[in-house]
Amino acid sequence: MVNALDPQNMNSFSEASVSVEIETEDMTLNIGPQHPSTHGVLRLVAKVDGEKVHDVKPVLGYMHRGYEKLAEVRSYPQITTLVNRIDWVAGFSNEIPFIAGAERLMEIEVPERAKHIRLILNEMARISSHFVFNGAYALEVGALTPIFYAMEDRERVLDLIESVTGGRFHPNFNRIGGVKPAAGAGPTSKKNIQDLPAGFYRDTKVAMEKVIEAADQFQNLIGGNEVFKKRTKNVGVLTAETAEAYGVSGPILRASGVKSDLRTQTDYLPYDQFDYDIPTGENGDCYDRWDVRVKEMVESAKIVLQAIDSMPSGPLQAKVPKVIKVPKGRTYVRAENPKGEMGYYIISDGGLGPYRLKVRTASFSNISILPIMLEGALLPDLIAIMGSLDFVLGDVDR
Amino acid sequence: MEEFFNNIKESFKDTELEFETINIKVDSTEWIEAHKKLRDEFNLKFFSWLSAVDWDNDVSVGEAPKESVSPCFEIISCLSDLANTNLITISTTIDKSDPKISSLVEIYGGANWHEREAYEMFGINFENHPNLEKLYLPDGYEGNPMLKSFELISREVKPWPGEVDVEGMPEETESDESADG
Repeated sequence: MVNALDPQNMNSFSEASVSVEIETEDMTLNIGPQHPSTHGVLRLVAKVDGEKVHDVKPVLGYMHRGYEKLAEVRSYPQITTLVNRIDWVAGFSNEIPFIAGAERLMEIEVPERAKHIRLILNEMARISSHFVFNGAYALEVGALTPIFYAMEDRERVLDLIESVTGGRFHPNFNRIGGVKPAAGAGPTSKKNIQDLPAGFYRDTKVAMEKVIEAADQFQNLIGGNEVFKKRTKNVGVLTAETAEAYGVSGPILRASGVKSDLRTQTDYLPYDQFDYDIPTGENGDCYDRWDVRVKEMVESAKIVLQAIDSMPSGPLQAKVPKVIKVPKGRTYVRAENPKGEMGYYIISDGGLGPYRLKVRTASFSNISILPIMLEGALLPDLIAIMGSLDFVLGDVDR
Repeated sequence: MEEFFNNIKESFKDTELEFETINIKVDSTEWIEAHKKLRDEFNLKFFSWLSAVDWDNDVSVGEAPKESVSPCFEIISCLSDLANTNLITISTTIDKSDPKISSLVEIYGGANWHEREAYEMFGINFENHPNLEKLYLPDGYEGNPMLKSFELISREVKPWPGEVDVEGMPEETESDESADG
């Protein structure tokens, strides 16, 4: 009898085991559409070879509501209620490019005060969206604690949005030519309409300082966590070239080292009046994508604080006709939304509604890169990579 | 923007600057070459989106065009540059009887899903597309929902209530409370 543990016999055994190759069969793994990490109803069909994932096919359409078709039978003011529901984590941001497009076609100059109110609420929507990302992403890679902190802090921002607009997720606050008088404004007079609720500036200052504090806390609580670093650093690296060819935008593009921010590069809102940084990453991995968003929250809070100090007075609405008809023409207006470039291509024929409205959403292009990023990735990294793209299915399917 | 527009205009004759959007019109046979040129010579490497418009006088949804148009599909794509300051849209028209055009996937990988969407919504065939399947719609779905001839069933069943009169502003009452409180 041969003793396998005898060092003299070891060599022959190890040689034998090396030369044998085991044929494994690929397993098809179906993830979603109801899996909690899919941010809604994304379904992935992946082939799994051991721990390696390949041939990932995203299956979309579970949240498709046909907004482009519905927009064709609605008037311009009615469409704002539709577009609110595209990216519901940052409902306010969805309205901005659409309203700006209609205003551009109608050649309406929006009053400065209305623009500032839009800008403040737009940044608040960005902060609230990034809070959701921070909590959810930590949860997805295995940390349960941060989501409670994130949700609590987000609540403070949502309360502010609610106090002005009356809605937490679907504000429907923008009007063509300006904004509507605030829900919490109380009794109004025709001469001097109250636009912001009492105590808004004071509460906002407190909330924004809390946001800066919270971002610092996240840097320690999540970013300083060894397990989190191990799970995200050098995982899901995305190069700038691939990102651009696929139309990947927003924090994901900036994490890959491209300093691109539509807030500074276009003039849909007066961002050029404020002083803020555009955080970028170096490696384009999951950690950088998380890091860029946390830093962005701080910058957004800084913008809001500056905007409050320099709030101009004046009317909330430009003069607009009672029945809104947009002149014949076409334009594309894009904006830097929390998830990336969002834009509306409006083709107007001079009627009450658009002849065609093309909605360009950030998440749609952002997740079209999933099959490339997930090719050859480890199965546990699949969730880490997917979560770092921070998509919302309403924003993908429209 | 003016300078960029003039540069583009030198290479593409049929270019318009309308409402701060540059629109280039090309023939459908030049579709691929135009994109290659814009990517390589004008550095427009960011693929924003691609979609189509169904131009038709006989519509069952929404309002028909006020002036008569010749029925066709217009295909539009949108590109911008690395720093995102320059942006253009390119459009071409194709015949409705045989709607086909070359796929852009070779040049811009991101065109893949956008073309699949246009394929299912309008029935446009993108030649040389690696995977021209339905994107959103379920298997076995018949018809192309974004066509102007495709009825919106819910509207047929129950017509829209129509325009409702907007409520006036709340009545005057004096209040000195302000946001600065």
